[in-house]
Amino acid sequence: MTDTPARIHAAFAEAGVTGWLHALDIDSGAQIDAGADQPACTASVHKLCLLVALHELAAEGGLDLAEQIECPPAGRTAGPTGLAAMLDPVRMSLRDAGYLMMAVSDNAAADLLLRRVGLDAVNHAMNRLGLTRTHAVHTFGELFATIREDAGPGGARALTDPHVITRLRALDPARTNRSTPRDMTHLLGAVWRDEACTPEHGAAIRRVLGLQVWPHRMASGFPFDDVHVAGKTGSLPTLRNEVGVAEYPDGGRYAVAVFTRTANTAATLPAADAVIGTAARIAVDALRARQ
Amino acid sequence: MDLVRHLECFVAVAEQSHFGRAAEHLGMAQPPLSQRIQRLERELGVRLFERTSRQVTITEAGTLLLAGARELLAGHEEFMATARRIRDGETGLLRAALSPDIADETVAAVLADFPRRQAGPELELHELSTAQQLARFASHDLDVGVIHHPCDVTGLELGPVLRRELGVLLPRGAAAAALDEVPLASLTEYDLILFPRSHAPALYDDLLTTCARNGYTPAAVRHGQGAGFVRGLILSAGAVAFGPYDAQPADVRDRDTENGSGVIWRPLAGAPLAWRHSVAWPKGRGDAAVSAFAAAATHALRTTAGARADAPQRPLHLRPASEYWL
Repeated sequence: MTDTPARIHAAFAEAGVTGWLHALDIDSGAQIDAGADQPACTASVHKLCLLVALHELAAEGGLDLAEQIECPPAGRTAGPTGLAAMLDPVRMSLRDAGYLMMAVSDNAAADLLLRRVGLDAVNHAMNRLGLTRTHAVHTFGELFATIREDAGPGGARALTDPHVITRLRALDPARTNRSTPRDMTHLLGAVWRDEACTPEHGAAIRRVLGLQVWPHRMASGFPFDDVHVAGKTGSLPTLRNEVGVAEYPDGGRYAVAVFTRTANTAATLPAADAVIGTAARIAVDALRARQ
Repeated sequence: MDLVRHLECFVAVAEQSHFGRAAEHLGMAQPPLSQRIQRLERELGVRLFERTSRQVTITEAGTLLLAGARELLAGHEEFMATARRIRDGETGLLRAALSPDIADETVAAVLADFPRRQAGPELELHELSTAQQLARFASHDLDVGVIHHPCDVTGLELGPVLRRELGVLLPRGAAAAALDEVPLASLTEYDLILFPRSHAPALYDDLLTTCARNGYTPAAVRHGQGAGFVRGLILSAGAVAFGPYDAQPADVRDRDTENGSGVIWRPLAGAPLAWRHSVAWPKGRGDAAVSAFAAAATHALRTTAGARADAPQRPLHLRPASEYWL
């Protein structure tokens, strides 16, 4: 049992990444700690915090999830998916924007919701849940603006230069949206135990987390039809994260948070994506062996 | 009261929400941990945790103090590191490293050039792999070094990234040996000899990916590093290896030497493969001596190893799962 963190770190090294993981048995409280308190840049993982804050506001009556929002093409936050990739005006409900934000990591949908909810409300919601090391300092549009600025005239191509990577503010947890693996499993545990919101809102959050389309990270570690995996990824140059929950048919539920940095600056690295699943599985197997 | 030690206990219990696990984390027994928390609470006049028979939860007051405790601990660590650095600086020592593949001529050039750029500090030069250098940066046992990319550059400052182009080592009698430049795709009938993957998984994968992208997917990859072992495999086992020009002995570099070892080095067409180096040092710990070493090593790599600035030439197609767009 004690060698589980060593096995996890060996799997990270084998895949050419540095990684930090925390896994939590949602019902017993048993944990696996492989760098659980490492401050890490959240990137799109912070969309989970935004979703929880959105539902808290709705539960308090501060907004109606069916409320319609306008998304004109001009001024949309850039991104390769969802509203961020669409060309024409869109009108949709807050909760459908929330679905796009979680299912395909839609940056435009996330910033529309952030404009409605506010960064302060997101931080306040996380503090209230006892997440002392989770903090958002900018919107997704502002986050990408720092990358554009730090990358300089070379644009996206400059992001394969290690020299450029070392100066990106977006990769420094002290200067961007941040959390720790332990804070994220704490949040997922609260959502799954209906402690973060009312059961009705908890179920809505769990539903969209289960609709994420990406198969290449955490889900790849659980190639079992009878295991349900829900999660949210986060990615930036050299940074690959996912936080999620694996649910087994015997009732076992495990929250896992994995944050990694790749050695290679290349954008396409399938092994680095897959090791998030490998590491999560090592942790969940170890937690299940304890029962 | 040793405040630092007590604050370490406070933070550990806050993070683990459990005395037993916190004690395990700290490598101490539970009773002295409980006593320390109680003593800290008495000293501060603040209750930090609510304890029930099964659970420990941090109080509102504890939450307010936690961030400050973490800052104090980080400050303490930084303070001790600075003291170590000043102590070592007083002894006038710069602890520097080069990776084992740097050729003798380059090493000699660095050693000769450094004192010209920075009189005073003595240069203690080590031969260390990139992984060893990163570990020593983290433990404050190394000031500066020449590393290989790709590697995790978190927390580092870098000098310019330089490319040392790789050529292919093949039998003199091979058809491709007669070419001025060898296309990777012409090596398909040969196995490849490479360093063991565990030494640098990211670099290993990067080399094989670049080979595949350029039409060379070896049927087998054999692992070896020693010059004699590698040459033996090239001569008798239908295999080739890669290496930079500057690291080859004269008889391997020169096509016209008849009494050579039977192995010849040829450049690769389009120079698709390279070792990529830069000088690296921990963020915020650069000083005049580090800058002088960086300048000396960069200059030596340029002049003795033919290293050139690394400019990304290839197009980059981000896929939707990248989640960002510039």
